[in-house]
Amino acid sequence: MITYIIRRMFGFIPVLFGVALFTFVLVRSIPGGPFDFVGDRQLPPQVVANIQAKYHLDWPTWKQFASYVIGDDLLGEEGTSRGLIRGDLGLSLFYRSQSVMDIIRTTLPTSAQLGVMSLLLGLLIGIPAGTVAALKQNSWLDYSTTFGAIFFLSVPSIVLGPLMIWIFALKLGWLPVAGWGSKAPYILGFLPNLGDLNVEYFKLAFMPVFALGTGSAAGIARLTRASLLQVVREDYIRTARAKGLAERTVIVVHALKNGLIPVVTIIGPAFAALVTGTFVIEQIFGINGMGKHFVASVGNRDYTVLMGVTLLYSVILVVANLMVDLTYALLDPRIRFD
Amino acid sequence: MLKNRKASLLLVVFAIFALLLVACQPETVTETVVQEVEVTRVITETVVEEGETVEVTRVVTETVTEIVEVEAEPEMVEQPVTLNWNFGTEPPTADPSLATDTTSVDVDTNLFIFLTKFHPVTGEVSPSLATEWEVGEDADGNQTWTFNLRNDVAWVKYNPVTGETVQEVDADGNPRFVNANDVVYGVKRTVNPDTASDYAYVLYIIKNAADINGGSEELTLDDLGVVALDDSTVQFTLETPAGYFPSIAGMWIAAPQPQWAIEEWGDKWTEAGLIVTNGAYVMESWIHGGELNLVKNPLWIDADNVQIERVEGQMIVEASTSFALYENNELDTTGVPLPEMDRVKADPMLSAEYYNAPAACTYYYGFVNTKYPFTDRNVRAAFSQAIDRQSLSDNVLKGGQIPATTFAPPGIFGAPEPGTLGLGYDVEGAQADLQTFLDQEGITLDEFNALDIVLMHNTSEGHARIAAAIQQMWADNLGVNVRVENQEWAVYLDTLRNTTPVEEEPHIFRMGWCADYPDENNWVHEVFNSDAGANRLRRNCVDANCAETTTSEFDELTVAAQLSQDPAERMEIYAQAEDILANVEAAYAPIYHYTTVAVTKPWLTRYFSLVGGNDFSSWTLDMDAKLAAQGN
Repeated sequence: MITYIIRRMFGFIPVLFGVALFTFVLVRSIPGGPFDFVGDRQLPPQVVANIQAKYHLDWPTWKQFASYVIGDDLLGEEGTSRGLIRGDLGLSLFYRSQSVMDIIRTTLPTSAQLGVMSLLLGLLIGIPAGTVAALKQNSWLDYSTTFGAIFFLSVPSIVLGPLMIWIFALKLGWLPVAGWGSKAPYILGFLPNLGDLNVEYFKLAFMPVFALGTGSAAGIARLTRASLLQVVREDYIRTARAKGLAERTVIVVHALKNGLIPVVTIIGPAFAALVTGTFVIEQIFGINGMGKHFVASVGNRDYTVLMGVTLLYSVILVVANLMVDLTYALLDPRIRFD
Repeated sequence: MLKNRKASLLLVVFAIFALLLVACQPETVTETVVQEVEVTRVITETVVEEGETVEVTRVVTETVTEIVEVEAEPEMVEQPVTLNWNFGTEPPTADPSLATDTTSVDVDTNLFIFLTKFHPVTGEVSPSLATEWEVGEDADGNQTWTFNLRNDVAWVKYNPVTGETVQEVDADGNPRFVNANDVVYGVKRTVNPDTASDYAYVLYIIKNAADINGGSEELTLDDLGVVALDDSTVQFTLETPAGYFPSIAGMWIAAPQPQWAIEEWGDKWTEAGLIVTNGAYVMESWIHGGELNLVKNPLWIDADNVQIERVEGQMIVEASTSFALYENNELDTTGVPLPEMDRVKADPMLSAEYYNAPAACTYYYGFVNTKYPFTDRNVRAAFSQAIDRQSLSDNVLKGGQIPATTFAPPGIFGAPEPGTLGLGYDVEGAQADLQTFLDQEGITLDEFNALDIVLMHNTSEGHARIAAAIQQMWADNLGVNVRVENQEWAVYLDTLRNTTPVEEEPHIFRMGWCADYPDENNWVHEVFNSDAGANRLRRNCVDANCAETTTSEFDELTVAAQLSQDPAERMEIYAQAEDILANVEAAYAPIYHYTTVAVTKPWLTRYFSLVGGNDFSSWTLDMDAKLAAQGN
């Protein structure tokens, strides 16, 4: 098991390098650079040259990439980049006084809190709902669960968000309109401060968590139902019943455990996506999360921020997928990593 | 077994509920207070008095200091007069040398004092740091501008720990006041190529600025045409005479800057707790992407007249969320999203809070003058006259936008009254012009339509809506079919460069322009002069790809106006230039002048500044009315 984990972790290096190289080349191949214009004003060539020199955008692409990965000093050049290998993601080209690390440090914790809560809500609603729907197949319970799932899957958050604001904040006045309740410094770099963890925090979190959580709950419920319907027809379930186990034990211990494998599979990517921030929900609820940087950095041609958030997403994704693979062994005795 | 599990589950549920209940309980706040208490004690002591031992009882009242815990009463804290503002986005920078966008300029306007300022209503240049200025000439015949500065503006820094605003002191412990050297430093820093300022080019009017910013080998920053004659006098020497220079001097890029703080902290000098400022407000905190709060600078020269004591600035991007916050009394003023416009106008309360103020921006469609058939003036004039600008404003934009027939909007020095010059909506004139072109070329309308005319805009719902409306007007009024295309902003700007091969250009493109300073020079000259401007219209191009340009009457006029010192003469030249561009050449089609569409709570009195940032120090807010509305 340990050797397996170590082997997998060595595998991350080429994957991340590939992601870095591919993204680096791709973002620079989009027409239009970060400093060609201010608004719609075309800048004089010498102004553009000054700025490009400051950020080393006048170097050939390979050299920029080398500077990005190993740093300026190892490259024998003057500059501020200490390189990816030493955890330096560079300076933002758009937010002129901030480094990419600054940006991630302020926005990731908020996105992570929102994402984890949403995923938990998704699992708490999705798995029981899917199980009930599968066990009572073709009953009214099944139909209403399936209807609810399809409803929440189809209603886009751009509709659900403003609708919830209108109902719960403006009409009923139960919840605040927008914002997020915790600020830096965070515990362990991402957990909200205990002082911030009050009623106000959960009131602010309710709508965005609900809007995000129900979306994933719907997906999880449908997957749980489909998978469980297949599993309960397996021979070993018949065996379990035949040896006289209580129905509850059959379902919870034998069927559900196995039926959750597809669900666990999607939790990996879902975790990475939710934790790194969701653009629409964060924008609607005025949450200072990381989601906006995935979108805005493309429009701003903020190469370094785009690289930074993409790499961070990749790291979280590969780690989450490793976790998922390890969980398989717990759920299915046939899977071993030795 | 099962029962047990149920029981334990119940227990867990109860435990969670209990926790929640505890969390929900209003906390009893106790305070530790150091009190002086009068204590009365009866003291019995034995005294030896005249050889006898006597017991004496005395009553003593004494004051002791003791530490007690008391239940704090909900204090009626005097709330500072607070403006809840939405910046709308994270300001990309607070550095005056680097700011280019309206949000950053808003921040700088409140943190820093500029040499001059624009009157919030009239837009006229008025004294600020500079009390007076005069124009002159140096020995070589270059125009000079000499500014006299006030000497009582303190450099201050906000201490986030103590919450105090303290004046900066120099190495000798003397308090620092803004002086002419700070202005010189600020200007030099903007021009310095190492600063990599986007807006450095606006200062190219200053002697040697363009060369120094371009990395000249011979010239150094010391050769820049700005010098401190003494502590309170700064003199600029210009490349070419510019009557509008006091407007340029009032821009953030020429603001005084604190050399010592910038050298100590580098790029990070604009962070809260480090930034040294000299304006009406100081930066209390700045959580990037989240909030930027300002508090009043008690040492500000006019602090007595600054009524708003605190500005809580959020960064809500989504217009509908910002509007919801406004409706919930969490913002004091905000923009109105287009989908809400009809409701706002119909609602008796919101319509009273609604205001549209002219903004110094113009929306226009440019014609690529080297792309057939827009090489012909008749075609361009036909397309321009076939746009019903009033209908567009009333039915599509809905914000009281002013139909434009010339470029610079009202309020800009030299701008003609909208509708007096240029080409307005005239269907018959448009049809006649198009027919003239068709006859002259000997083609039919169908053949004209086969040319596949393309109108391009940058990707945005708003631009798409306008393009669809105008496309329909052209179809109805002229019978021409125009294809609408869109591109992502940066790609779009790349396409519109005048170095793009003409085949890849659209025939018609959408663009807008907003004032940097309130003078026509910033408009017709900087945008459309084929020599000095970006020349996206490709006027006066020698070949279709515009490798070389010549000049024509219009271009000579805008240069003449730049050199003229006589305001009346300048006005006249600009009127002429505007009419040539929009009518005689019909090189582009002005469409509308922007308005700022906003709702403002009755307790806030605000200005809508035509140019420059929002200056919170000139606004007032009735805090009692606000608290009452919030139900506090």
